[in-house]
Amino acid sequence: MERVRLSFELNGQQQTLSIENDTPLLWVLRDVLGMNGTKFGCGIGLCGACTVHLDGEAVRSCSLPINAVANRSVTTIEGLSPGSDHPLQVAWIAENVPQCGYCQSGQIMSAAALLANNPAPSDADINTAMSGNLCRCGTYGRIRSAIKRAAVDIWQPEQEQS
Amino acid sequence: MTLSRREFIRNLSVAGGGLTLGFSLTATGETAGAASLQPNAFLRITADGDIIVQVHKVEMGQGTVTGLVTLIAEELEVDPGDIRYEMAGVDDAFKDPEYSIQITGGSNSMRVNYLPLRETGAAARMMLMTAASQRSGLPVAQLRCNNGSVQSADGSVSFLYAELASAAGKVDVPEQPRLKSADDFRLIGKHNQRLDNVPKVNGGANFGIDAPLPEPLVAVVVRPPVGRGGMSNYDDSRAKSLPGVHHIVPVDAGVAVVASNYWRARKAAETVTIDWHAGDSALTDSAAIDAALSAALASDKLLSIRDDGEAPAVELHQELDAQYSVPFLAHATMEPMNATVDPNTKEVWVGTQAPDLASSFAALGLDVDAEDVTVHNQFLGGGFGRRAMPDHVLEAAQVARAIGKRVKLVWSREDDTRHDFYRPPMKSRISARLGTNGDVIGWHHRLAGPSLMQSTVDAMAPAIAPGWVPDFLINFGADMAGRKDHSSVEGAKEMPYAFGHVQVAYRNVETPVPLGFWRSVGHSHTAFVVESFVDELAHAAGEDPIAFRRRHLPADSRHRQVLDKVAAMSDWGNPPPGRYQGVAVHESFHSVVAEVVEISMNQGAPKLERAFCAVHCGRAINPDIIRQQMEGGIIFGLCAALKGEITLQDGAVQQGNFHDYPLLRMNETPDVKVAIIDSEDAPTGVGEPGTPPAAPALGNAIFAATGQRLRNLPFRLS
Repeated sequence: MERVRLSFELNGQQQTLSIENDTPLLWVLRDVLGMNGTKFGCGIGLCGACTVHLDGEAVRSCSLPINAVANRSVTTIEGLSPGSDHPLQVAWIAENVPQCGYCQSGQIMSAAALLANNPAPSDADINTAMSGNLCRCGTYGRIRSAIKRAAVDIWQPEQEQS
Repeated sequence: MTLSRREFIRNLSVAGGGLTLGFSLTATGETAGAASLQPNAFLRITADGDIIVQVHKVEMGQGTVTGLVTLIAEELEVDPGDIRYEMAGVDDAFKDPEYSIQITGGSNSMRVNYLPLRETGAAARMMLMTAASQRSGLPVAQLRCNNGSVQSADGSVSFLYAELASAAGKVDVPEQPRLKSADDFRLIGKHNQRLDNVPKVNGGANFGIDAPLPEPLVAVVVRPPVGRGGMSNYDDSRAKSLPGVHHIVPVDAGVAVVASNYWRARKAAETVTIDWHAGDSALTDSAAIDAALSAALASDKLLSIRDDGEAPAVELHQELDAQYSVPFLAHATMEPMNATVDPNTKEVWVGTQAPDLASSFAALGLDVDAEDVTVHNQFLGGGFGRRAMPDHVLEAAQVARAIGKRVKLVWSREDDTRHDFYRPPMKSRISARLGTNGDVIGWHHRLAGPSLMQSTVDAMAPAIAPGWVPDFLINFGADMAGRKDHSSVEGAKEMPYAFGHVQVAYRNVETPVPLGFWRSVGHSHTAFVVESFVDELAHAAGEDPIAFRRRHLPADSRHRQVLDKVAAMSDWGNPPPGRYQGVAVHESFHSVVAEVVEISMNQGAPKLERAFCAVHCGRAINPDIIRQQMEGGIIFGLCAALKGEITLQDGAVQQGNFHDYPLLRMNETPDVKVAIIDSEDAPTGVGEPGTPPAAPALGNAIFAATGQRLRNLPFRLS
């Protein structure tokens, strides 16, 4: 491992740090920068609790060396919306999705990447995008409903508000 | 709970401090004295208008924050969202009246708190009204509480609770708080929104793993692969020189590597080698344990749990005899075990189901008195029984003591899977005779498996000081050291059907594997055996499985109510083309749940299509949380039925992460519909009762689809 000095954009702010180049982004976020919204679940990219956006795409931060993040843009759950009012967050609350809540940051980040690319996902699209995110409490059905609700909200905001 | 055991609500208000009410749920501990004034305050209303409720039943997803706050808000006439909730610390007042320790489990939070917390809210409401009467000169009868204020009927007088709090704090606590009539409920049975949603969708919720660290010090432990402890020596020469490594210290569980972040600690830990020795048990392989369970089952050494006498001879239609087995299971909470301990301030940050056990284990690790330890309980990233065991707190405390600084211990997923307290494996042999008259007699159910309670006593023993032995362990000790362990036979002993001459017997088979409470505990295996075998009987009798069950259940039983409901919901008997249905019904934690699982067959494997659930859990406090718990409980049970299996080789657990201990994923999960039976009975459990019927309902659906009766979990079609 080699210590590197690098910069990346995190939730719209420039970060510069010096660290071993194989350090996963997850531990930079949590242990170096104190951003605890992104969660540790498995360490090998199998559970999705650590999902963040890298240049808008959902990635598993536990398996993404910080080297791969240099000069790119990272969004975490803390940066998804300034007022916790992203259509997915609103839909998550409306559908009462969370139980223990531990996996939900990763679930929402996976769903946000899906809707950004595909504003009207089918059930199969949702399965494909979301099957990398485990939930031990079994909130999958509500997650599916919330994604569909948010998709409608994004398409028809005026109609939803009226 | 018996009301006589509970202490009256007490006024804990201090001068200028507003209205503060507390009581002891058990009235067995030391509850008087200034030291406990604040911690055991269930409800505080400050002169600044803050209404603060101590949540003494931990939030692990099952909805206690919302449920407990709702009970007080209902009687206090405030919006639940206007109440600030705090996770309760350790206090005798918060001990569970049934377990005599401060523990959350057994799906009893709403059941045992339904009256005490409503009474607390009602007492506060009456005291605020008295204060308003004193101030306005109007009789209490002309006042009413509404949305955080006391108002006169004509609207001429209106005081905010904040204005009245200090005066109300000087009013005598009513001896018998007047509870609202159920007809007047605004929230109970209606309120649905969870109160902890917002922090759980914006990353703000603090779990144990998010504990604050003034100085970045993260510990990981290198462990022997076998059980707990057993390390004789270690070599840390390479690790010491790696970047960011601050300390390497031996602890009971292995060697702790403390570094400035988790990755550095983990990388350094990978270079540490340890010498370890296995225990002396012969039962270190799954095959050997399996054989021991089979031998015990076949022996004549089973202890009778229930004996309704020998069945008389009948004209026999058929006699059925079958063997069932279930494996060890891990909990696999999404948040791996972790704890943060400060050896100087003696503070602990952890998400635990048992704060006082956590306090005791921290005290043990720090070598201080438990009374001096402060536990900051956090949101739990899943519990399911795993977080009732505070082994990780002891580890963190030992590391903290060794290095003299606050440190956060974080387990890897592999640590978590390989060093769990597992759901015990169990084998059952079950037989019954089906008479030509349609009766079932001579239901004989024999079970063999390791005693969960015996293992629990062993695990807790280090922290149990003389004179501090939880009641449930005393009761257990009186139950002959595990031989009659109720947690092994619950759900089999109380089998609900009117079958003649039931006999249930159990044999404890000791293994060196640590065991723990796993969502629905004994019901997780007994429901599978009983409800699968009842299905076998129904098919042998040539009857519809629901009709057969109904016929053997009391006419006015809750079991029949939920069966009838789930039959209607699922269009029982008329599945869509290519779909197959299975049913099961089971009572656990005082609630009765019936489920229908609908599958299709896809390349020889069952595909979960839909699940239907009807639950009778007494009065519904928060209907949507009940639905959540049923949905989650069903998926938890289906996951175990299709995938869950922990195996051992040479004493080591062979699984480590989600590739070899897989969970159901979204694409594998059925659509779940839940119906709640209307009831005015007292509320009963919902966190666990959804789980037990899921596996047998699925197995029965697989039989309907394939004609194969699968009697071993996880299901594997031949």
